[in-house]
Amino acid sequence: MSVSNLLENWSKFRHNHPVEDKGHPDWQAYPSEIKWAMAIDLDACTGCNACSVACYAENNLPVVGKEKYSHGQAMHWMRIERYWDEDNREFPDQGAQFLPMLCQQCEAAPCETVCPVGATNHTEDGLNSQIYNRCIGSRYCSANCPYKVRYFNWYDYPSTENVWPAPMEQQLNPDLTVRGKGVMEKCTFCKQRTYTARNNAKTEGRKIHDGDVQTACQQACPTNAISFGNLFDPESRVAKQWEQQQVELIKAEQEKDVKPGNNLRGYRIFEELRPYPSVMYLERVRENGV
Amino acid sequence: MHRFLRLSILLAGMFSAIGSYAADAPPPLTTPDELGPPIEQPIEFPHMRHAGLHNPADDADPSKPATGGMEINCMYCHTYARRSMVAGIPPLRKCIGCHQSIESVRESPRIKKLFEYWDAKKAIPWKKVHDLPDFVRFNHERHVQRFVFQQGRPVQEACGYCHGDIKTMTVARRQKPITMGWCAECHQKDHPVDATSTKTTHGPNDCFTCHK
Amino acid sequence: MIENGFNRRDFLKVLGWGGTAVALSGCGNTSIENGKETVVSYVEPEDYAIPSIGVYFNSTCAQCDAGCNIEGRVREGRVLKLEGNPGSFINRGKMCGLGQAGVQAHYNPDRVREPLLRNGSQGETLTWDKALSLINDKLNGVKGEEIAFLTGGVSGHVKVLLNNYLDALGSKNHYAYEAVSPSVVRAANKKAYGVEMPRLRLDKAKVIVSFGADFLGAWVSPVHFSQQYAQFRKGNRPEGRGVLVQIESKMTLTGANADRWIPIRPGTEGILALGIVNALGAGIPADAVAAAKDYTADRVSKDTGVPAEQIIRLAELLKERSPSLVLAGAAAEGYAHGSQNAAAIALLNQVLGNVGKTVEAPANAQFAQITPTTGNRAALRSLNDSMAQGKLKVLFSYGANPVYTAPDALKLQDNLKKVPFKVVFAHYLDETALEADLVLPLDSALEDWGTSIPEYQVEPHLSIQQPLMERLYPNTRGVGDILLALLKQRRADEYKAYEDFYSYLRGAVVQNKAALGGAGADDDAFWNETLSNALVKLPGAAGSLSGKASAVGLTLPAPAAEVVAYPLRLIPSVSASMRDGRHANLSWLQESPDPLTTVVWDSWVEIHPKTAAKLGIVEGDIVEVASQNGSVTSQAYLFPGIHPDAISMPLGYGHEAMGRYAKGTGVNVFKILDPVFDKETGELAINETNVRISKVGNRVVVVKEEGPNGGSQLGRKKIAVKVSSDKVDLSKEV
Repeated sequence: MSVSNLLENWSKFRHNHPVEDKGHPDWQAYPSEIKWAMAIDLDACTGCNACSVACYAENNLPVVGKEKYSHGQAMHWMRIERYWDEDNREFPDQGAQFLPMLCQQCEAAPCETVCPVGATNHTEDGLNSQIYNRCIGSRYCSANCPYKVRYFNWYDYPSTENVWPAPMEQQLNPDLTVRGKGVMEKCTFCKQRTYTARNNAKTEGRKIHDGDVQTACQQACPTNAISFGNLFDPESRVAKQWEQQQVELIKAEQEKDVKPGNNLRGYRIFEELRPYPSVMYLERVRENGV
Repeated sequence: MHRFLRLSILLAGMFSAIGSYAADAPPPLTTPDELGPPIEQPIEFPHMRHAGLHNPADDADPSKPATGGMEINCMYCHTYARRSMVAGIPPLRKCIGCHQSIESVRESPRIKKLFEYWDAKKAIPWKKVHDLPDFVRFNHERHVQRFVFQQGRPVQEACGYCHGDIKTMTVARRQKPITMGWCAECHQKDHPVDATSTKTTHGPNDCFTCHK
Repeated sequence: MIENGFNRRDFLKVLGWGGTAVALSGCGNTSIENGKETVVSYVEPEDYAIPSIGVYFNSTCAQCDAGCNIEGRVREGRVLKLEGNPGSFINRGKMCGLGQAGVQAHYNPDRVREPLLRNGSQGETLTWDKALSLINDKLNGVKGEEIAFLTGGVSGHVKVLLNNYLDALGSKNHYAYEAVSPSVVRAANKKAYGVEMPRLRLDKAKVIVSFGADFLGAWVSPVHFSQQYAQFRKGNRPEGRGVLVQIESKMTLTGANADRWIPIRPGTEGILALGIVNALGAGIPADAVAAAKDYTADRVSKDTGVPAEQIIRLAELLKERSPSLVLAGAAAEGYAHGSQNAAAIALLNQVLGNVGKTVEAPANAQFAQITPTTGNRAALRSLNDSMAQGKLKVLFSYGANPVYTAPDALKLQDNLKKVPFKVVFAHYLDETALEADLVLPLDSALEDWGTSIPEYQVEPHLSIQQPLMERLYPNTRGVGDILLALLKQRRADEYKAYEDFYSYLRGAVVQNKAALGGAGADDDAFWNETLSNALVKLPGAAGSLSGKASAVGLTLPAPAAEVVAYPLRLIPSVSASMRDGRHANLSWLQESPDPLTTVVWDSWVEIHPKTAAKLGIVEGDIVEVASQNGSVTSQAYLFPGIHPDAISMPLGYGHEAMGRYAKGTGVNVFKILDPVFDKETGELAINETNVRISKVGNRVVVVKEEGPNGGSQLGRKKIAVKVSSDKVDLSKEV
């Protein structure tokens, strides 16, 4: 790795983050034609946890067991958070709130800038990458993540902890590394699937169509609450949703053109911190008068 | 004086410690031949015989056994290279497909061993020569599609770039470093987007492209 | 020895040199391994088997009774991941978490691998031939009525073989038992609509009022209902966005998704239903008026604890928005008067005019021998009685674990010991297998052949289950093959043409190809296409709903009086993953938090904060929950979504055997249930157990996903956001 390479990439890295006030020209010409994004409809989400189990199956996630879970060392890349209404009601008579939380693949990711060895970077197709063999386990990235969606392998799950006793190791997905001790991991928007889809599309000489690639969580979700696809493809469901909800990727504060009382329900979490996340959530709807 | 002695002993100690560690590392980015160690395979498969160049002089005398190679295309056996990430070791049926009709070598020791495996329906446990670490994916399909089908290079040249001159070997032996630095060197070369364009680009430099 | 002459500057200089040395050699240092790994080729692969490219094969999920169709990603001869089959009528390409864990059931390290014969308290392995001939010997001289076969719900060709085998033995004793099943609702449906399981159109309803039916979680066909629910919630359908009201004593997953969750005193669901009928006022049939006339809003409010205005509002809602759909679930039916509860709720559907609109007739499937025989709990009781009276000499068990799921009060384990010879077809050495004399190891669902028809049908179809890979252990067998081998002992001539269950199945399906849409097709082509889809449509005439929800004779008991010694009502809960505990050994499911409490890897006791405060219980206190028939001890969890007079504990935990993940995880609530049965159907009434709680003395930290903050967003803005439906226009959404 030459010094000039480092310098060149460093400046590109700094420039490719959306900088609103500068209206940076590089941002308009995003290097790739693909920007993976997701939209999660909280009204359709029933909190069933199918997405979470599907992620375990697809991504070789270790099951840590009760004691490690109590230490907060669970490895669920996709987790469902459950919230109650907080106005001292005697009963939660409007139900609960479920929030599927996964790596938001931020465009200005707070984790990317602080890795001491550069193990986490931004890819050309808009993902936040995590490279296991470069990671030295400083855990600074996880400290910086406002969503706390980065998970550290505190133990050697494949060998010492024997998380996959024979023959369970045969279920492991060969398209994905089985992580050893001391590396950070997180949701990758199923990059093994996006990679395969891009590979197939390239061999066939075409672009990726919407629906060619589904993340594991999206594919399992019984209510279709998760939509995933290329934000730069105007025909994709996720691009249509982002547009209809008037949520723009490079804005930290959305100015929505709506009539009063006729809100749009798309939003991003912690937008005010300006990480420019790639996941848009749609507010849960409840009829109050019932 | 004492201080200098102590310091130099410390330095020497550290250097030898580091040196012994560095000595295990293969030499950096040059590409001398025969880089990898020779690896023993269950059957000493002669690539030179199958993929090697044909010697027309041998055709003259039909009583002599044919020497030289049959110039079989790499992808005839390593058939998955153009359509899958892995080039793949040919299935046993591929070998048997030809050899079941080649009477002249049917009794030679290695062919007999081959048929032993076939009769037992047992796969041959080849040792992996070009073995990248588990956290890396190398996509054969993309490289073969680009260099062989898109750019029309000869197959042996395209495969040989990374695998070396296989047609001179019996069992394959690693001839290039196939380290990340070596791969990235090619990927970072700027070249024109196509024949007519002035825009340049280079191969994928994305971490996620190769790191699983 | 370093003396103080050595200073920090020199030390750093040395380090610097050392560091540079490493950096220089670092660029070439790689992890290229030379010849250490083996690469094994195929021997004779299929053309489509390309290394690194997964091939998808279709099959049928066997994790629960919904019978969703799945596809498995198979790479290099191993099945890696399951997805939904996009061509399925039931789940249309989607999957639940339990279904995903099907691969763990297949690769489970604790599966039984060899036939086992009891020798004292040990099991000795024996060959299949010996095992099968032992069965033959033991059946010698035993009369048909002394033989019984216990199963779960069965359908398809396994059911055919099972029935034929029992017929060959001269036995009519088939007990189809499911510990968790909507059996009371089935009976009530039969009376009210003429069918046990009508087709429910959630996607056509404007309002759904569910009396404890957890259709998004674990009731009947959750993936299918979830998809309908997604349609139901869309603002851009003609009916507009639907509204869900859930009425139950303990919040289920569906309740957590309701627009209005109404806690109700346990057992009074029927009273509330009649209260709504009363509040509907004009335009309802005379017999309904008569039945509901005493159930004024005030009286019902006193009985159920639901405010009178809420009852009236509900009635108005149902009147305004038609068609609606009213459902009766486990919460409503789990009482001694469960049938009456279910009848009152069915009456509501009738009165509201939903029958024919959101309650439809399922099509009548043609082939009666393969249609599902559903399991219920009354079967367990009659089996138990037979065993207690010493009437049985040979018992076969497949797909049931009664030693685990039977309440202690039934003394099933003791009665089981009275049966001299017990054969258990098992995947794991669970509690029932440990009581067996002979254990026959089964293929996993991903290794086995079969056909099935789910109880809840959308379009009548036959689902095919095919192996997604070679069997992992050479000595397991599919249940169809075992039954075929047993049948050949009795009716050799009839079955000798079939080499194995696969050829029997293929023959049976291909024989009927004309009826299955393959008339005139080549046998092989038809079979291959059927396998490729793993489902085939069955011809069926459109059914019709007969029966009438009649209010004649509908009487509901007054709410139960408090039992002084046991002041709280235990509501056992059924979660989507744990269910009746059959999948407790799948680690993904144990690690997957319960959606309502977020607790993992253990049982818990849900108590309303008000009740807990009265008893001085805080979260994590170990409490003893004692009924008249036993007690269990577990950690307390304060949960606002439960009626203050009730507590809840999850079913499916507390295995004493079965495997490393199941054993010792949590406590078994089935054991302490009071032996109360529904008067009409004889089903075990699971919500009729009265308990008392007392602190044991120690306290633990509850291991749960939500962390110490509970369900609080800690004042942060815009995390999980809810918006009122009148402030948002959903009709233009994508």
